[in-house]
Amino acid sequence: MSTRMIRMLGSLAVFLSASVGMVAGHHGWSGYDSSQTLHLTGTIQEAGYEHPHGYLRLAVPDKVWLVVLAPPSRMENRGLPRTLLTVGTTATVVGYPNRTDPGEMRAERITVHGKTVELR
Amino acid sequence: MHQPVGPAWLVWLETSGVAGAMRHWLWLYPLVEIVHIVGFVVLVGAAVMFDLRLLGLSRHLPAADMARHLLPRARTGLLLVLPSGLLMFTAHATEWAASPVFRLKLLLIAAAALNAALFHRGPFRAVAAWNRDITAPVTARCAAVASLLLWFGVIACGRLLAYV
Repeated sequence: MSTRMIRMLGSLAVFLSASVGMVAGHHGWSGYDSSQTLHLTGTIQEAGYEHPHGYLRLAVPDKVWLVVLAPPSRMENRGLPRTLLTVGTTATVVGYPNRTDPGEMRAERITVHGKTVELR
Repeated sequence: MHQPVGPAWLVWLETSGVAGAMRHWLWLYPLVEIVHIVGFVVLVGAAVMFDLRLLGLSRHLPAADMARHLLPRARTGLLLVLPSGLLMFTAHATEWAASPVFRLKLLLIAAAALNAALFHRGPFRAVAAWNRDITAPVTARCAAVASLLLWFGVIACGRLLAYV
């Protein structure tokens, strides 16, 4: 192995070790603490019907939650078209808090306009 | 999630029409994901089959012939994997670019490409000497091990993007 290659591998190792430990939490059910079930009822401030996951900003009395929903194609199939997620509507979600981000939760099911839809 | 924050070119990419279509069209994102998976199955599959030959499996098969059969397939895989990967990147460009796992994935892809290039400029030039029924030189076997580890790493990073 040439010294150039050893040096290259060296800087690679430095880069890799620098990357570890700054991983930001997101997506995937394992990132949410299912031992803690949240029941939130609030007003939809913002709704995103987008891939890979839809989302809501749900204003409850004490804070605004970022609620992660399912992929839009699944929500459409389960009977939750984008027209149901209107700003200003009251919605109830049941789900789990993100393990690292205290402002985010992932919804197992949502009730909006009198309709309950499973999201998992 | 709504207002992308980051370097100007990433914000531009994420607010482009293509990125919007990726986020909002009901079946585009899953379709592109499927193309990406088919692409890397062919690309990494071809690489793994060749690597195993270099490591001594089925050494009655001429290594040069296997390369001639598998390399064009790997290139086809690359043609599927690159544009589909780029499309998915645009949908959340600022988030992906900031993700250490995504950066590691790009780094591993670059390392895998470099490894392949070194193999072709190095031990593969003399393939006639070890084409059949002979153990490949140690440099070729090292390249095969590196290729296996790097490609598995790329796939692992790609999948872990959704979980970390």
